[in-house]
Amino acid sequence: MGKLRFYAALWAAKLSIPALKITRHQGTDFPGVLALKICPDLLKYMGRPKTIIAVTGTNGKTTVSNILTDILEAEGYRVMGNRAGANIISGISTAYIRACNAFGRIKHHDIAVLEVDERSSPRVYPYVTPDYVVITNLFQDSIMRNAHPGFIADLISRSLPKSAKMVLNADEMISGSVCPDNPRVYFGIGPMDTDVKDCVNLLNDMRVCPKCSGKLNYSYRRYHHVGRFVCADCGYRSPEPEYQAEQVDFAKGTMQVREKGSSYAYPLITDSIFNAYNLITVVAILRQLGISHQRIAACMAQTRIPSTRHNKERVGDYNLIRQMSKENNSMAGSRAFDYISQRPGDKELLFMMNSLSDTGKWSENTAWLFDTDFEFLRREDVKKIIFTGPRIMDYKLRALMAGIEEDRIVCVEDENDAPERFSYDKNVDIYLLYGTDSLNEAARVYDKIKTLALEHSKEQEARQ
Amino acid sequence: MRVEVLYPEICNLFGDLANIRYLKLCLPELELIETDLKSRPVFLDEQVDLVYMGSTTERGLQLVVQALSPVRDQLLARIDAGQLMLVTGNTLDAFGLSVHSDQGLDFSGLGLFETRAEYQMLKRHNSMFLGRFEDMEIVGFKSLFGLSYGAPAEEALFQTLRGVGRNADVKEEGFLRKNFMATYLIGPILPMNPPFAKWLLAQMGASGELAYEQTAQEAYLRRLAEFHSDSFDFMYH
Repeated sequence: MGKLRFYAALWAAKLSIPALKITRHQGTDFPGVLALKICPDLLKYMGRPKTIIAVTGTNGKTTVSNILTDILEAEGYRVMGNRAGANIISGISTAYIRACNAFGRIKHHDIAVLEVDERSSPRVYPYVTPDYVVITNLFQDSIMRNAHPGFIADLISRSLPKSAKMVLNADEMISGSVCPDNPRVYFGIGPMDTDVKDCVNLLNDMRVCPKCSGKLNYSYRRYHHVGRFVCADCGYRSPEPEYQAEQVDFAKGTMQVREKGSSYAYPLITDSIFNAYNLITVVAILRQLGISHQRIAACMAQTRIPSTRHNKERVGDYNLIRQMSKENNSMAGSRAFDYISQRPGDKELLFMMNSLSDTGKWSENTAWLFDTDFEFLRREDVKKIIFTGPRIMDYKLRALMAGIEEDRIVCVEDENDAPERFSYDKNVDIYLLYGTDSLNEAARVYDKIKTLALEHSKEQEARQ
Repeated sequence: MRVEVLYPEICNLFGDLANIRYLKLCLPELELIETDLKSRPVFLDEQVDLVYMGSTTERGLQLVVQALSPVRDQLLARIDAGQLMLVTGNTLDAFGLSVHSDQGLDFSGLGLFETRAEYQMLKRHNSMFLGRFEDMEIVGFKSLFGLSYGAPAEEALFQTLRGVGRNADVKEEGFLRKNFMATYLIGPILPMNPPFAKWLLAQMGASGELAYEQTAQEAYLRRLAEFHSDSFDFMYH
C-alpha cells in the first residue's frame, strides 16, 4: 500500500511540474506539498544519488549550499538540490521529485546538496540519510520557533544517523558538539588582529563549560561565543580544526588554508568575517570529497556571494547600501550592526526589519531587540537612524537604552514616508536594513530612495 | 541599593537581562551583584534589595535546581522573611515540583509551589498576554516548551485578562508569595511595563522617573491598545 501511494504521489507531483511551468510558478514547492499530502513518507521510497550532503545551521547555509553547488558543477559533478525552493521538507521533496525518474530512481545526478532548515531535522533525516552533514554554526534564532541553540543542537543530534560524517565549526562549539558519536572533521579560522578575549556582545550562548559549568577561558574570541576556549575547571577545550583559514586579509582579498601542516593560497571573495567562515566551510566539505586545494581555489575565484544580502550601489552623488538583517534574529541584527559600524564614513540608516507577515493579526514579540547589539550604532558617524512600522517606539526605547542620542532617532510609522527623512548629504552613505518578511516592501522603498537620490543629485548639479 | 542576579551565565535567554540593564539605567547608583552557579547566593547572608533570575535552557533549569537545592531551606526562609525576588520565563519551573517532557526530560524541582511543568518539545507555546496586577495592566509574551499544572488558585502573580495563565485552563498566571514573584512572561517585562517597573522600584525603596519613561510609556500604551483589540490573536499560529 505504501509503495502504491508513493507512486500515486510521485506521478501526481510530476504531472504538476509542466502545469506549473505553463502558469509560470516554477519556483514553488507545490510538487512537494502535493506529494506529501498523498504520501507523507514520500522520501522513504525515493532513490538517492551516490552522495548526499546536508547543509544546516543558523547562518550561512544558503551561501554555503550555493557556493558548494557552483563549485561541484564547475568540477563536472551532476548536482541535485533545493536551491530553487524551500529548505523544509516540501522543498527537499520537490528537489527529489524533479531529479528522479518515474519510478523514483535518481540516475542522472551524482550528488545532492540539500540545504536543510535545522528545525526540520526530525522530518527530513529519518528518510534522507546524508553521507556528510555540514553545520555552519548554531546561534540564537527566532525565539518562538527555535527556542535556543542548545535545543536545536539536541534536535539535530537525535535526528541524524550515526553514519553521517559531520563537518563542524571548531570555533562555535554548540554546533561543534552535535552528534558526539559520529565521525567528524572541523574547520575554523585562526587568530585575527580584530579578535578579543572578553565578550562584547549581549548574546553569548556559551558562557560556561558544557561539561562542568566551569569558567571558559578564551585564547581568542571573534564575536559572541565564537572563538577558541579551554575550561579552567575540567580542561574541556575547542578542538583543533583539520582545515584552518589563516592570514585572512580583507584588504588584499586573500587567505591561506592550512591542512596537515601545509598552507594553500585562496581568494577571499568577501569583506565580512561571517562570509569568510562560509568559505572555509566550503573548503572543508570539498576537501572531504577529495577535490584539490588548487581546484577549489580556482573555482572559488569565479564565484560570487549572492547579492541579495548585501548590495552597494552608486546612485548620483550617493552610496546606497542594502543590508539584509533577518527579523526576529538578534544574532543577525548584531552581526549587521557590527559590520555597518566598521564601514568608513558617515551614514544614515533606515530600519525595515519588521515582521510584516504578523502585522494586523499578531503583535510582534520584540524580546529579540533586547539581545541585539544596538550599542554598535552608538557612534559619531551614525548620523541618523530611521525606524519604521508598528513597533517604532520599541525600537526607539531599545536605541535609547543603547545610549544612542535621541536627536539622531526618527520614527516613521509608514515605511513609504521614510525615504524623505534622509538628509541626502552627499558625504553621508544611505543604508537600508531589511528582513526576509519585508523583501517586497524594501524593494519598493529602495526604488523611492533611488529616485530621491537622483533628484537631489540633479538639484545639486544645477546649483553648481 | 543592591540587586543580585542569580546565575546570569545560564539564566540569560530571550532578552530577560534587559530588565536588569533597565533598572541600572533607572538607578545609576545601583550595585549589581552577579552570582554564578558555583557561588553561594549573597542574599542568603546579606541585605539585597532585589534578586532576579531570567529564562534559561532545559539543562540550565536542572543546573538551577542543583545549585539551589543545598540552600533550599534558607531560600524558603528568606522568601518567608519578605525577600523581594523576580523570576521570569521558564525558570519559574525550577521552583515547582517537577519538570517532565515528551522527549525524556524528567527531574524534580525545588518544590516551593505545588505545580508540575509539562513540556512538548516539538510544539512550542507562543502567546501574547494581557493581565492585571494590583491596579495595573501587564503586557507580555510567552514562548515556552510547556506550561504548569496542578497548582491551587491561590498565590497567583497576575490575573489573566487575555491569553493563558499558568496553563490554558486557568486565569491565574505565575506565583506570588510575600515578595517572591515568578512569571512565565519572557523578555524585557520591566521596560515593556513602565507602571510595573515603577512599582518594583518603589518596593526597593526608590522613586522618581524611569529611564526614558516617556518613550517606554508610549510603547506600552501602543501595545496595550493592540492587546485589547479583538483583531489580534493571542495564540501564535
